[in-house]
Amino acid sequence: MSNSNRFIERSIMGALSFLKEAIYADEYASRKGFLQGLDPRIKAVTFILFLTQILLTKSVIVLLFLYALCLLLAKISRIDLWFFLKRTWVFIPLFTLFVAIPSLFSAFSPGEALITFKIFGINFIITRQGFQGAVLFVARVITSVSFAVLLSITTRHFQLLKVLRIFKIPQVFVMVIGMCYRYIYLFVEIIENTYRAVKSRAGASIHYKKGQSIAAWNIAYLWARSYQLNEEVYNAMLSRGYSGEPVVSDDFKAKAKDWLWLFCVSLMFIAAAAYL
Amino acid sequence: MDNIIFELKNVSFSYLGKYPALRGIDMAIKKGQKAAVIGANGTGKSTLLEVLDGLIFPDSGTVKTFGEELTESALADKDFLRNFRSKVGFVFQNSDVQLFCPTVKEDILFGPLQLGLSPKEANARLEALMEIIDIRVLLDRPPHHLSMGEKKKAAILSSLAIEPEVLILDEPTAGLDPATVRQIIDAVIDANSFGKTIITATHDLHIVEEIADIVYVFGSDRRICRYGDAAEILKDTEFLKANNLVHIHSHRHKEQIHIHSHSHIEHHVP
Ligand SMILES: Nc1ncnc2c1ncn2[C@@H]1O[C@H](COP(=O)(O)OP(=O)(O)OP(=O)(O)O)[C@@H](O)[C@H]1O
Ligand SMILES: [Mg+2]
Repeated sequence: MSNSNRFIERSIMGALSFLKEAIYADEYASRKGFLQGLDPRIKAVTFILFLTQILLTKSVIVLLFLYALCLLLAKISRIDLWFFLKRTWVFIPLFTLFVAIPSLFSAFSPGEALITFKIFGINFIITRQGFQGAVLFVARVITSVSFAVLLSITTRHFQLLKVLRIFKIPQVFVMVIGMCYRYIYLFVEIIENTYRAVKSRAGASIHYKKGQSIAAWNIAYLWARSYQLNEEVYNAMLSRGYSGEPVVSDDFKAKAKDWLWLFCVSLMFIAAAAYL
Repeated sequence: MDNIIFELKNVSFSYLGKYPALRGIDMAIKKGQKAAVIGANGTGKSTLLEVLDGLIFPDSGTVKTFGEELTESALADKDFLRNFRSKVGFVFQNSDVQLFCPTVKEDILFGPLQLGLSPKEANARLEALMEIIDIRVLLDRPPHHLSMGEKKKAAILSSLAIEPEVLILDEPTAGLDPATVRQIIDAVIDANSFGKTIITATHDLHIVEEIADIVYVFGSDRRICRYGDAAEILKDTEFLKANNLVHIHSHRHKEQIHIHSHSHIEHHVP
């Protein structure tokens, strides 16, 4: 196999195992930390408050404060900070590339020139407004992504689904989300296994034309297979008495701690709104 | 009759209307019986079990369960559905689809909670199940991280958790090591000794004698080509060979290769 092929292979496998780890690290949800101990409903409400605040604020200071709070929450919920940072910052390059970098320049954000440079005879001007906008944007993305990830890794997915139902999200949507969750994992496994199977059968080198047709066939096969899996998982649920509404083992009970937490977050929300 | 649990009359089924999987199946399974459905790959064993569990419905013919007809519209009735689901447990051929909760524990509790038990009662059942197959160390792990045999045990316990009267198992021992097979068979026999009806699909003849009194043999035409006493059918090597159920072993004796069929049973019956 050529070097570039090996590079592609490594990236595919890397991306797959990242995806698996990113969505399916259930172990954090079962640790006994601060967020894991909160009532999922109240936790969801407070995280919505956080996210609203992140979207409304125009102050980088407020965002930094919220980001620090988020890391603190992760810490007291016994989440490995290095793991958490890796997981959340991985989204940044994508956003930066497509949104933040173009917005730096005068063509998109007119204003005072901060830095000027020339490439191929074209003048590039980074404006102060553009720079501030980009910083604000990146801060906003990283903070909101961090909160979203924090909520999802400290809550069992079944509980999240139940919370969605409590917030009156229609049954069908909740069911579809639940199914997706379960079978994306199987999907990823199938890709991995098929990929390995192709490799083991075709030996060390696959001509790239041939490789392309195998890939095309695989994608068609994957759709059919995942559709079938979806049906089988659903049958397995029916067989054990599922009739549309998942029953979660511990029914939610809000305790004093939950109300105190809700109170603190609301207070902070109001204070920030007054300050702005 | 009261003690007939499943009664099938002339049942046919085809996938998407063009791939026949069952043809004219007649069957009667009595309470407390151990029945095995054997047949080569693709002869319709899994399809039959799904019909019995009310997951798919025949194109023609009738299925009766506990004296009532099992149809899609019958299952639309909430009471009938709950009653049926709490009486019949199904262990799927593919454990990956059967375990869909975040942890093994939740998977085992899923059935009882769906059927309306309180969390306390459900947990008591969980404890009792750990006496049958002890997988306490796996309870907090996500099912998709387990090995095949561990998944199978979890899947069987999750079906036993609803305390069904009938336990349907699809290939419960395929690909497992001998000790795990033993554990699973023991659990099944144990359940049967408490009066549960056991229906197993398999092509593993080693286990048939233990888990079945009566055997239904499926042929490649997707019909039942023979049924009767387990011991009798297992003795008929010629018949089993014709239905691709015994290995053709090739041994090298001195410089000659000689080929003979080999039913395994003679070697394994104690
Ligand atoms: N979803 C499906 N769509 C189309 N055909 C199917 C489907 N599932 C099974 N079949 C076909 O129906 C027939 C019976 O399949 P079934 O899975 O019941 O066999 P089986 O006896 O359980 O085989 P195995 O021992 O391999 O598990 C096969 O010919 C198979 O190709
Ligand atoms: Mg099968």
